[in-house]
Formats: sequence, C-alpha cells, structure tokens
Amino acid sequence: MSLALTGGLILGGCSSSSSDESSEASGDKTVVKMMHLWPEGSSNAQYTIVDDIIKTYEKENPDVDIQTEILGNEQYKEKIKVLSASNELPDVGITWAAGYMKPFVEGEMFAPLDDIAQKDKFVAGTLDAFSFDEKTYALPLELNITPVYYNKEIFKKYNLEAPKTYDEFLKVVKTLTDNKVTPITLGNKDRWTGSMWYMYLADRIGGPEVLNNAINRSGSFEDPALVKAAEEVKNLVDMGAFVKGFNGLSNDEAKGYFMNEQAAMYMMATWELPNYTTSPDVAQEFKDKVGYFKFPTYEGGKGNADSYVGGPGVGLFVSEQSKVKEEAKEFVSYLVEEWGKRSVVDAGVIPATFVDTNNAELHPMYIDILKDLENATNLTLYADVQMSAKVADVHLNQIQSLFGGESTPKQFTKAQEDALAAEK
Amino acid sequence: MKKVMSNKFVIALYTLPALFLILALIYIPIVLSGYYGLMDWDGIGQMTFIGLDNYVTLIQDKVFWTSTWHSLLLAIFSTASLLLYLAISLVLASKIKGSDLLRKIYLIPMLLSSVAIAQLWMKIFDPTNGMANKLLEMFGVENTPVWLADPAIALFAIFIPVIWQYAGFYILIYYAALKNVPDEVIEAAKIDGASALQMAFKIKLPLISGIFKVTVMLAVVGSLKYFDLIYVMTGGGPNGASEVIASYMYKEAFKLNNFGYGSAIGFGLLVLCLVMTWLTSKLTKSKDDVQ
Amino acid sequence: MSKVSSPQAASLDLSVPDKSKKSLLNKIGFGFLYLILGVFAIIQIYPLVWLVFFSLKTNQEVFGMSPFSLPQDPQWANYTKAWTSGNIGLYFFNSVWITILSVALTLILASFVTFAVTRMSWKFSGLVLGLFLVAYMIPLHSTLIPLFNMYNSMNLIDSPVSIVLSYTAFNLPLTIMILLGFYQAFPREIEEAAVMDGCSIHRIFFQITLPMTVPVLSTTGIINMIYNWNEFVFVNTFISSDKWKTLTVGINNFVGQYLTDWGAIGATLVISIVPILLAFLFLSDKIVEGMAAGSVKG
Repeated sequence: MSLALTGGLILGGCSSSSSDESSEASGDKTVVKMMHLWPEGSSNAQYTIVDDIIKTYEKENPDVDIQTEILGNEQYKEKIKVLSASNELPDVGITWAAGYMKPFVEGEMFAPLDDIAQKDKFVAGTLDAFSFDEKTYALPLELNITPVYYNKEIFKKYNLEAPKTYDEFLKVVKTLTDNKVTPITLGNKDRWTGSMWYMYLADRIGGPEVLNNAINRSGSFEDPALVKAAEEVKNLVDMGAFVKGFNGLSNDEAKGYFMNEQAAMYMMATWELPNYTTSPDVAQEFKDKVGYFKFPTYEGGKGNADSYVGGPGVGLFVSEQSKVKEEAKEFVSYLVEEWGKRSVVDAGVIPATFVDTNNAELHPMYIDILKDLENATNLTLYADVQMSAKVADVHLNQIQSLFGGESTPKQFTKAQEDALAAEK
Repeated sequence: MKKVMSNKFVIALYTLPALFLILALIYIPIVLSGYYGLMDWDGIGQMTFIGLDNYVTLIQDKVFWTSTWHSLLLAIFSTASLLLYLAISLVLASKIKGSDLLRKIYLIPMLLSSVAIAQLWMKIFDPTNGMANKLLEMFGVENTPVWLADPAIALFAIFIPVIWQYAGFYILIYYAALKNVPDEVIEAAKIDGASALQMAFKIKLPLISGIFKVTVMLAVVGSLKYFDLIYVMTGGGPNGASEVIASYMYKEAFKLNNFGYGSAIGFGLLVLCLVMTWLTSKLTKSKDDVQ
Repeated sequence: MSKVSSPQAASLDLSVPDKSKKSLLNKIGFGFLYLILGVFAIIQIYPLVWLVFFSLKTNQEVFGMSPFSLPQDPQWANYTKAWTSGNIGLYFFNSVWITILSVALTLILASFVTFAVTRMSWKFSGLVLGLFLVAYMIPLHSTLIPLFNMYNSMNLIDSPVSIVLSYTAFNLPLTIMILLGFYQAFPREIEEAAVMDGCSIHRIFFQITLPMTVPVLSTTGIINMIYNWNEFVFVNTFISSDKWKTLTVGINNFVGQYLTDWGAIGATLVISIVPILLAFLFLSDKIVEGMAAGSVKG
C-alpha cells in the first residue's frame, strides 16, 4: 500500500518536472502563454479561427511557441481572479471592457497597447471602452448591438407588424397577451438581460447621454427621464409582457421559450445571430421565421431608433508582468487583424474592426445588421460593464427588484444614485 | 498493555502524516483567510492593511445576517430530514424483501454531480413547462407559483433539491451503521420477545447514536457551508432572497473585487460553524444522558 | 412523514407467523409501506433516466419541453461528439487514477488516525480529533487563493500532485468523523486479547482492526470516491494543461461564451457516471459482506 502511494507521488512529481523540461526543451523558442474562453466543443467556430491563426503565426515565426489554455466562460473568469491574485496572469488573455478591467489596470496588471493599436481600424468607441487615461489596455475582438428578435409567423398570425414606435409596441404586446401568447421572453435571473430593456427605455426617453452622465457623475440617476424609464418598465411588467417567472429563469432557459416558439419576442445581442442564420443545430424552419427590429422610438422622447445598447465584447490583454511582452504584443496585433477578417464569415461574430460588407457570402440578416451598425448614431455600453463591480451589483439587483415589483421606480433610481454617489 | 497502547512513536507515526496534511493545506489557508480579512484588497492590486474594519462592517452588514439566517434555516431543515432518512434506513436494514435492490436505487442520486442535479431541478421548477407546476395544474391549481423567481418562496424551493441531494449520503451511513449492529444482539432481543418497534428504539438506535451524532454535526456544518446548487440555481436571488453565507462570500470575493471583505465573511463562517457545533454537541449530549 | 408504516411493516420482520386477525391489517400496512418505498424509489431513479433522455436531445428540445418528453430523434451524435471533441479519453483516465489514489490515501491515513485516537491512550487525542473537526468547517473558496499561492511557490501548479494532496486533505475530516462513529461501536476485546498475546500494534491494526472495518471503509470509500470524481473547483484552479484535466473540467468544454451545448454536456455526464455507478454497485455489496467476515476471527 505504501509502495503504491510513494509510486503515485513519484509519478506525479516526475511528471511535473518533465513538463518543466518540455517547456525548456522548447526553450530555444519563446513561449507565449495564452488563455481564452472558446472551447472546441461549444465555441467550435471561434476555437478554429484562433487555432488556425496560431498555427499560421507559428509557421511564419518559427521561434515562437504559443501555448493555449482554454476554459468555459464562468470558469475562465474565476481562474483569472485566482491568477491575478497571485500575479500569475498568462501572457495573453481575454478581458471585458470598462468596469471589469479597471481594477486590473489600476493594479498595473495589463500592459498599455497603444503602440500596436491601429486606431483607425476600429469602430468608433470600441477602443475607448478599453482605455483609461488616454491609454489603451486591451484590443477589442467583438462588437455587439442589441436588436429585438421576433417570430414573424406569430406576428403574422395576429396581424402584427414590427413596431416602429413605442405605442405600436405596446399594442403588439396587448394583442399577444389577449391571445394568451407570451409576448417577450426574458431570463432575468442573470439580471443584465432586464438591464438592457431599461437602458433602451432610458435612451429613447432621455437621449443617449442621460444614463452615461448618471454613471460618470456629470448627471444624476434621479433624472426624471431615468425615473420615467423605470415607470415604463413597471408598466410593461404589469401588462404581463414578460414570460412567467422571468426573475428565476437564466438567459439560456428563457432563450428556449423563443426557440420553441412559446414566446414572440426576445431582446438579445447580435451574438445570437448564428442561431437564426447559420447554425446547423437549429431547424431551418425556425430560422426562416426569425426577423428583428430596432427598439422603437418613444413619443416625445429624445432618443432615435439608430441608437443602440451594445458595444465591444471581449478584448485581448497582454500581461504587464509578462516576460515575453514584445512577442506577446506582436502576436496580439496579428491575431486581432486576422480575426477581423474571418470572424463574421466563419464564426458569425462581428469584430470591432471594420468589416467589408460587400462580401456576398454573408447571410442577409448579417448584411442588414452590419448596415444598421454603419448607420448607428450611438452605442451605449451595457450599464453593468460601465459601472464598477460594486455599483453594477447594486444596479443589477435593483433591476431584479424593479421587474419583480419590489422596488418602485423612485426607489430604483434612488438606490443607484446613492451607490454611485458613495463611490466617488 | 498500557505501555503498548501508549507507545508514543507509534502514535506519532499514525497521526502525523494526516495531521501534517491538514495543517498545511487547511489550516494555513484558514489563517491566511483571517489575515486577508484584515486587508482592503480587490484581489488584483495592492493590499492595504485596515485592521478590524472588515470585521466591524461584517457585524453590521444586514445582508450577512440575512444570509446567515438562511444558512441556519437550511441547517434546521437538513437536521430534520435526518429523521426521515433514519426511518428509511431502519426499514431498509430490516429483512424485508427487495431491500437490497431498493438500497442500491436509493443511493443513485448521490452519484450525480451538482451540474446534473442543478439542470434537473431547474427544469422541474420551470414556471411554464416544469414538472412541478404541471403536476399542480393536474390537481386543479390555477395560479401556480413561480418557485425560484418568487422572493417569498425561492429559499424554500431551493432547499428541496439541496436536502434531497444528500438523501443517499445519509441513508448510506445509517444503513451501514445499522448493519453493523451485531447479529447476536438482535437475535437475543428477538428471543426476549422484543417487537420491531422496541427493537428499533431500545436497541438499534442507541447503538448507532454515536453515528447519529456525527451525522447531525455533518448536516449542520455542511448546511452552513453549502454553496453549489444555490449559486447555480438562483445565484442567491431574487435580490438576496436565497443568499447563503458561502454564496455571499463567493460574490464579494470573486465577483465584486472585494477580496478582503470576502475573506472576512469566510472567517465569520468558520466562527459560526464552531459556535453551532458546540451548541449541537451540547444539545445531543443531553439525549445521551437520558439513557 | 410516513412513520405510520414502519411499525406495522417491521412487525413482519419477526419470523413468528401471526395468524390472528391482525394479518389482514399487516398486509395492508405492508402494501402501503411498499407503495411509499416504491414512490421514493421512482424519485431516486428518475434523475438517471432523465439524464439519459437529456443527453439524447437536441439543444432546442432541451428547453421548453416537458421533462417527461422523450427525445424525438435520439441524438447519438451527442455521444460521439462528447467522446471525440476534446480529450475525453484522457480526462477519463485522469479522473480514474486521481480518484483511486486520493481515496486510497485518505482511507489509510484516516484509519491510522482514528485507530490512534480511539484505541491508544495519549493526552492529546482529544485535541487532535478537535483539529480534524475544525478543519471540516472551512469553506472551500476561502482556500483557493492561499492554496494556489502555496502550490505555485512549490512548483506544483499544473501537477496532479496538488490535486491528490488537496483531495486527501479535504476528505480527511469527514472520513475520520465517520470512522470514529464506527470505531467506537466496535468491541475492543479482540484487540485487547491480541495485545495480551504479545501482538505488536502494527499487527493489530493491519490484521485485526482494518479487516473489521471493511464495511465502514467501503462506506467512506464510496463517499470519497463520489466527491473526488465529481470535484471541479480544485482541478479548474490548479490545473492548466489538458493532459492533467479530469472529466468534470471536460464537461466545461461544452459551455460556450454565449451558447451551451446541453446535449453534449448530458452525454458527457452519462459517460462520467457509468464507471462510478459500477464502482458503487461493487463497493456497496462490501458494506454488508464485510460484517460477516469481520465478526469471525480466531
């Protein structure tokens, strides 16, 4: 028994030292460690793109060896936390913008990337979300806007058309509830999903700056437009617009209702597009029924239909502590560029770099979205990403409370105003 | 004999390896956890020493106390469920037909990982398509509850899968303990004309009381520490209605960049476990003394 | 609670046939008992059945459909996908040996300690026991960062040694507590007799005590095995290279940034439950077997 134990420990011990050796054997090569969150199983398209790019890069740069560690989304976030606490970040990794990355920037964990950021290649605003004090600390890879997807067949059945104004939208909701059809599916257990609805109302009522100003403290969260937006949310909930039990459904579960045609509308970002266009896992019959419309305009409001909630998704960072910073930066620069060329066609992901829409291979919905993107007047970054983690938590909890009827619109705005004021 | 049984070398040999492991891998982290609790640290940048501030904040933190209350409720329900499991094990351990097969079946959910259990129960609780509401509708209930979305019942709803998850665990232990009662004792009792009820209460239960006390402690501490299903299924929501200490700690430390405070919560949990264990052992001791 | 049925049914255990008018009542009680037991059995086995169905559904079917629904078109492809994408075979192998090694280590070390605490007489036995007890109380996530730092400084990050040691350490308190309950119930006469006969402690431990404790070792063995097999947090945190990952981490291969492949996850879960189900069926017989062997000792 004791022999087996010692044997096992030696085995384990030997293996760890031999893995040291193997990284030293490639010691003539510079090793760049990269962590990302596109596992082969679930995000095959992104995985393949990155894998191909790595292989090509290694071929063109034979003295560089890129080692990847791939994790699922939540696990990635958790691990990065542990790694950063021990100053063991990988050379290259994935990060989210604004409020998420601020502590990393303040803790000097990310290297400034101004020398490799080709500013004119990026869609306006995307780099800013990853910049602090005029310096860019990560390069964005994804760009998303948030339309409202709807089931054209259900709409047709009740003689409904995609609404252009908010009043038309309310009529649509009423017709559906009268016919016992769930108008909107919403997975508000995750909270940020409800936040998007609120943000759009805030934008359409008060214009694109009102929310941003509240967050960056040049305005107040108790601005009447923001209170009104909360009142409209309450109105929608009271009308029965949302699926039963939304506060206990995850986004994934809520999505199912739309996919199973038990709900008519679903507000989600453009990362959902593959499900309605190219994904082989979804029945073509269903895909043909899906269309989208921009969030309607509000009578007397200051916002227009071409202002979107959305913004950059993930970006790449280079660790400030990295021992191979220059090589890492070079690789990142290459990756971002190549990614931009392939991501739409191969993975259905809109990159943050400009995309050539004259590509005939794209599904029509993509072409429409990209055209809309070109005409966008404003992109408001998700509130919980803009805010610091603590304030974001208050915001998200309040969203659940507002939707759940526990907080009144006034309480909703006050709680957040207090949280924001307490910060600075 | 006493000499053999107090051979210091052997005692050391037998206990040091295990002791060393837990001192290194458990106690050092405990101490470090308490230490981090003295810091203002976001887990990323620099740490700043702030003394007992976190602990003071902790004592005044409403959310912490609500979470503690929820954890205590779970502990109470878990302990109550032990009686049910004990009853089931008593039946299984007796020689009724099919007990062997039943035993194996009853323990199957133990094998499932939390991922599987979470998925299963989320589907069951789905307000529109889930089994729970479909069953209620069959019985004519009109306004079926929204389970995990309703702040009033989310906590109790989530207790169901959590407690159910451990059914197999306790039934296994009680079953093994009951089987461990020497046959001679049972035979002797039968000859003396003991009825099954007397057998259970006067003979079997007292003989496994040691094990029972252990399971009570496991249930209490395990409930106080519990994290998995609650975090995955409700995230502590809606708005803290089902928050427990471990999920609160995780959020503060890992999601809100409040690592110093999160560590203080963890340390607070440890202290709470100590207090509850002491309380529980006092309560279960009195049961012993009655004999 | 269904306490009503217990006494009635249990009264049937006595092999004394009772042909009085009570026998009809007994039969009803018996039937009622079996009904309750049967319902509970269905509740317990349903998850497994559900899981298999789940693994055969398409992503679209997984949502919104009644949990009773059968997959419309069994997606065996989910299994091929689970097996071929990513290194499931490798993860499987890792799960197996890491679990076996950790469980073995835990059981033997725990037995050593429990033996020393219950059978030997020394001043600090209570204190040591208390130390193990308190060790049970630490919440897992509190230990992640300190442990990571520790392993990192010893170069054990990304080595399975960190996992085996962690599993062993964290399972010791629970195992010792359960063993303790059983050890206290075991009669000491046999061991005391052996001491009189001049046996060394080691012989007593290995040849008398251990065999006597096979039932409880099987019990804790099952518990430890299940815990280690399904464990995830440590592996995710301490292991980076694919070659050391275990099945539980492998499941996350199918959790995407925005899209989750539930069918494949289901398939992986079913694949991962098979070996542990087999091990469990094998070990659970030992719980009863051991008793007969242990009590007869010359």
